[in-house]
Amino acid sequence: MRVLIVDDSRAMRRIIGRILGDAGFEVLEAGDGQEAIDVLEAQTQLPTLACVDWNMPVMDGLTFVTEVRRRPEWRAITLMMVTTESESDRIVRALAAGAHEYLIKPFTADAMVEKLDLLGLLPVSVGEPS
Amino acid sequence: MTRVAAPDEALVHAAIEQVWGSMLFSAAEPWPAGVAPEFETGLQAQIELRGDWNGRLVLTCDSGVAAQIAIAMLGVDPDEALPEDDVHDAVGEVLNIVGGSVKGALGGVLALGLPGVSETSASPASDECLVVAWRGAPVFVQVVPDAA
Repeated sequence: MRVLIVDDSRAMRRIIGRILGDAGFEVLEAGDGQEAIDVLEAQTQLPTLACVDWNMPVMDGLTFVTEVRRRPEWRAITLMMVTTESESDRIVRALAAGAHEYLIKPFTADAMVEKLDLLGLLPVSVGEPS
Repeated sequence: MTRVAAPDEALVHAAIEQVWGSMLFSAAEPWPAGVAPEFETGLQAQIELRGDWNGRLVLTCDSGVAAQIAIAMLGVDPDEALPEDDVHDAVGEVLNIVGGSVKGALGGVLALGLPGVSETSASPASDECLVVAWRGAPVFVQVVPDAA
């Protein structure tokens, strides 16, 4: 399975990439919502999952989620917000726009893996020899 | 117009502890009383809060401390020399997450800006800052309300 990590922080992309790489994902990256759309448009094999920050330059995460949901050809992509935005109204807005899950920064690797498990997206048994 | 109180020291410290613990795998101990924190040159990260309270959070630390924070956050070899851009990015993201926690705890309607990081030789006024210890070195965090 492939994941697209959309975050303007390289450090955060690296951290999330390591967690998801360990969980068996092939990782794609983008630094903002517009770059993420460009990455998706260039793919012949779409990612199963996109992890999306909210506050980014150029195009924010909520706009990206809305754009992905607008396009029928991208309907199969599971969207998880990974963001510092912790207020309940923000969570409701993201879920209403089409996000499937919501993970608040700061988070632990275990919390992210738990979200993947909830989404049924753990391709390997994390922590077990592969 | 300011409609919620400025983030106080306890709230900011709680946010730093949360971020230090989960992302940097370290405790955020208060700087020991009676010991003057020293600073010469380093990095300064800033992030704005806009809405029911207007101002910014400013994090300042020595360049070596910034590099150690980035190494801890990224989980790389302690002897690895990270590119300057990666150190700036990591310190900015640490403040971004602290800012998000502060924003969530403040209540009201607030928007968080994007972090900016620059080099500085201006020594923070430690009596106006929350100072926490990172492996024996000071990290200065200041809450700066907009001028009235």
